[in-house]
Amino acid sequence: MSSKQSIKVENLVKHFGSGDNLVRVIEGADFQVDKGELVALIAPSGAGKTTLLMMIGCVEEPTSGRIWLGDDKVYDNKWLTRETRKIRREKIGFIFQAHYLIPFLNVIENVTLVPQTNGVSKKDSEAKAKELLEYFDIGNKARAMPSELSGGQNQRVAIARALANSPEIILADEPTAALDLARSVDVVKMLKKIAIEQDVAVIMVTHDEAMLPLCDRILKIENKKVVSSDVPKDIHIL
Amino acid sequence: MINLAQKDIAHTFGKFIVTAMGVGMLLGIVLIMIGVYRGMIVDAEVLLDDLNVDLWVVQENTLGPFAEASRIHEDLKNTLRVIDGVDKTAALTFQNIQLPSKFKQVRVVAVGFDPFGTINPINPERIVAGRGVIRSHYEMVVSDKVGFKLKDKIPLGRNIYTVVGVTHGTVSSGGDPLVYISLKDAQELQFLYSNSRIRNDRARGLSGGDSHMVNSIVVTLHKGYSIDKVADDIKRWKHKSVYTREEQKTILTKNLIERASKQIGLFTAILVVVSTIIIALIIYTMTLEKMKEISIMKLIGIPNSIIIKMIVQETLLLGFLAFIFGNMFSHLIYTKFPKRVVLEIPDAWMLFLVVIIASILSSFIGVKKAISADPAAAIGG
Repeated sequence: MSSKQSIKVENLVKHFGSGDNLVRVIEGADFQVDKGELVALIAPSGAGKTTLLMMIGCVEEPTSGRIWLGDDKVYDNKWLTRETRKIRREKIGFIFQAHYLIPFLNVIENVTLVPQTNGVSKKDSEAKAKELLEYFDIGNKARAMPSELSGGQNQRVAIARALANSPEIILADEPTAALDLARSVDVVKMLKKIAIEQDVAVIMVTHDEAMLPLCDRILKIENKKVVSSDVPKDIHIL
Repeated sequence: MINLAQKDIAHTFGKFIVTAMGVGMLLGIVLIMIGVYRGMIVDAEVLLDDLNVDLWVVQENTLGPFAEASRIHEDLKNTLRVIDGVDKTAALTFQNIQLPSKFKQVRVVAVGFDPFGTINPINPERIVAGRGVIRSHYEMVVSDKVGFKLKDKIPLGRNIYTVVGVTHGTVSSGGDPLVYISLKDAQELQFLYSNSRIRNDRARGLSGGDSHMVNSIVVTLHKGYSIDKVADDIKRWKHKSVYTREEQKTILTKNLIERASKQIGLFTAILVVVSTIIIALIIYTMTLEKMKEISIMKLIGIPNSIIIKMIVQETLLLGFLAFIFGNMFSHLIYTKFPKRVVLEIPDAWMLFLVVIIASILSSFIGVKKAISADPAAAIGG
């Protein structure tokens, strides 16, 4: 695997069920995403976008194939480690459509939970969390509970949480679905900035074509295969 | 490391405390039930401890005077004194009577004794008002639970008695309050028939009953004499059943309250099981409420050990707080019970141990549910 590659997928297959109930979701996906790249993953509803994201995120076990995350091969027709959760904790940052913050933790605790679990000291993890919160303009909300923040502020906290463990990969599942256009653009620009500044590979599932021009590349699920394409020139955001 | 249990409890503090109070009230009832059993033991021993005698002489082949009816002649107290080793003797009667009061009748156990004798069943330390019985007739010392006060007049049988003293904490083995009257009055109440009954007996050719009977003779020994040896001598020569203080205590605690204590024990065990089930259900519900958060935590890579630690800590804290509330609750209400309730520290520690074990067992249900949480469920996929 080259030093630029962050995610590499080879002949990835995912089936659900068996016999008459067999559902073929992905049939031989091959693609890679480099560090510093923001890639949009698009497909109609039910085509397997989230399933693909969850396989890359070591949450859903593929039926067969191979997956590399960073320099490590993590899946080769079976998980190569029993500690897939450790991989998630150390290499991957997740961002979801909803913020999914832990409601009983305040902002800074939500952001520092994963780093502290990774063994980073409270002092160091809080220092980095404050830095991230300042970066996202919510430094003054560090001690607030998620229920005291707006939806947009919570989404920024969720992005800060995804970045707190200095991940190599960010997997974002429709992060702009609940936002208006202006805020959606802000979030995607933010992800693009993070990808470049922190040399992180970002895969963003989206239904919103208006966000595509902000991405570097598009991965599209077509006929159960993943096809890579450049960003179309004829789509412009307002 | 962030303590997730502490944060979660702080987030829903009021709900957690109210839940702990609810379980605590249940545990308080468990403590009260144990206290009722302890109270029965203490009640059973009050009269024995106050009398502090070495031997109880009763009718042959009976477990008298408490477990079985016993009738022996009063003058046996004099003949027992000649047995080697016997120091003092006293004749006693025990009978259940209903004392009339303004509102309702009060069930008591009347102890009849010779006020001029050498053994007095009234422990002076228990007298809280007035004095003991010092006359042969119509004086009564009552337990404060009976509700009478000094100089109250109580009609009983053919006579009217005056309350001359009030005691505290004097109850029979059955938990009924004790009253003390002279032996002569007691014998009259117990053995002297009414005039119509006497006339009826005469018409039948029956002679009048002997009212110089008692239920038991109690004996103290000189120092240095073997209690068992003297007891054997009385059994052999006087043809009576004789029990040492310890044997009488065993009769009271085993024969009289064994079934009641088993009943209470079973009830207490059921309450403990119910408490365990309730704690388990609460923990299960608390875990169900957090399934989304648990899925998110698993999705972002939080290990099971941290999630399990959160559930176990919350369960243990719930159990601990419930135990504290249970103790507070039981100590607040135990004096309100009509019968004696004795709360002992070793019982509380035993319950604490049971609660902790129950909490750990209960937490397994929550832990099992948490481990089964699908991280993909966090995003609905």
